Amino acid sequence: MPDENTIVEISCFEVWRRLSDYVDDDVEPELKARLTYHFARCRDCKALLDGTRNVVALIGDEQAFDLPGGASQRITSALARRIAEDRETGG
Amino acid sequence: MIDESPIRESIQGAPDEVMFASPVNAPGPDPARGPTIGETSRDVGHRSHTPHEEMPGNDLILIERILAGKRELFLELVRPYQKLVYSMAVTIVKNEHEAEDVSQEALFKAFKNLAQFRGECKFSTWIIQITLNEARHRIRKKQRTPEDSIDCGFENEEGDYVPIDLADWREIPSETLQRKELHNALETAIANLKQIYRDVLVLRDVEHLSVAETAQMLDISVASVKTRLLRARLQVRDALAPGFDGYWNTGSTTYKRVRPF
Repeated sequence: MPDENTIVEISCFEVWRRLSDYVDDDVEPELKARLTYHFARCRDCKALLDGTRNVVALIGDEQAFDLPGGASQRITSALARRIAEDRETGG
Repeated sequence: MIDESPIRESIQGAPDEVMFASPVNAPGPDPARGPTIGETSRDVGHRSHTPHEEMPGNDLILIERILAGKRELFLELVRPYQKLVYSMAVTIVKNEHEAEDVSQEALFKAFKNLAQFRGECKFSTWIIQITLNEARHRIRKKQRTPEDSIDCGFENEEGDYVPIDLADWREIPSETLQRKELHNALETAIANLKQIYRDVLVLRDVEHLSVAETAQMLDISVASVKTRLLRARLQVRDALAPGFDGYWNTGSTTYKRVRPF
């Protein structure tokens, strides 16, 4: 009879289904323990986990989609002009 | 059914839909979460707050003054959000010049509709919604042909996404985004996602909206957000991991795939 600390192993497919939630720390504690246990033993799933975390880190990096040089000024100038014109036309 | 009007009708007609009748909980990324690989604790800290959360009161005061006639203050109001708006736009229209146009148009529409903002969601969320709709409107006008998805994994009988490759990608060097090859690969990988996956990925991982906020903005269920986010992240990983594991680091032009099965 397994005690309460026994961790039931799960398949790689099951791991992949919840991989993204695991990265977001959005899994129930019992499943989290199973997943952590699996990652410690399955090299392929660990590679997938690391890669997915890296994707999240890269995409979330503030340099990833930075404004091109001069874009901020161009957007601000155009916006200022349109707001001024809007006033003149009674918008 | 996703509404693709430049500004959802709800902004002008039924504001509750776009401005969220009740405040959305779970504000963005979990600040308590530790850094992932390639991410420092400073990065996590940076992601945990948006400009709005730093000075929500100031935004509301500014908005009141703008609506009272100080229209020029709008530029000050939206300056901190320019980057959010642009990053949303560029991931959808996939062109820097056009993304500038979309950003400008979205911000102007925000100005014109500012009276509709009632502070029931974050100002950043409201402005992202307008940008999303504006960018989609642009794409629809251009009548682009349906997009093909990237070379991606397949689905097994249960509908699970099966990665095409299990390349080992563990380390991200700190200067990683400086590398043009990575930057281009990242942009291409995101651009090549099907729109339903890209929208969720961008709202969650670029704009750092919460799952609940993303679901409301796209008018889909929380479960759908999670499913699509999983697929999107795995597909982008599939597109980038071989480069890290193989030819980018070794200079080799060949890469032997690590097939899952």
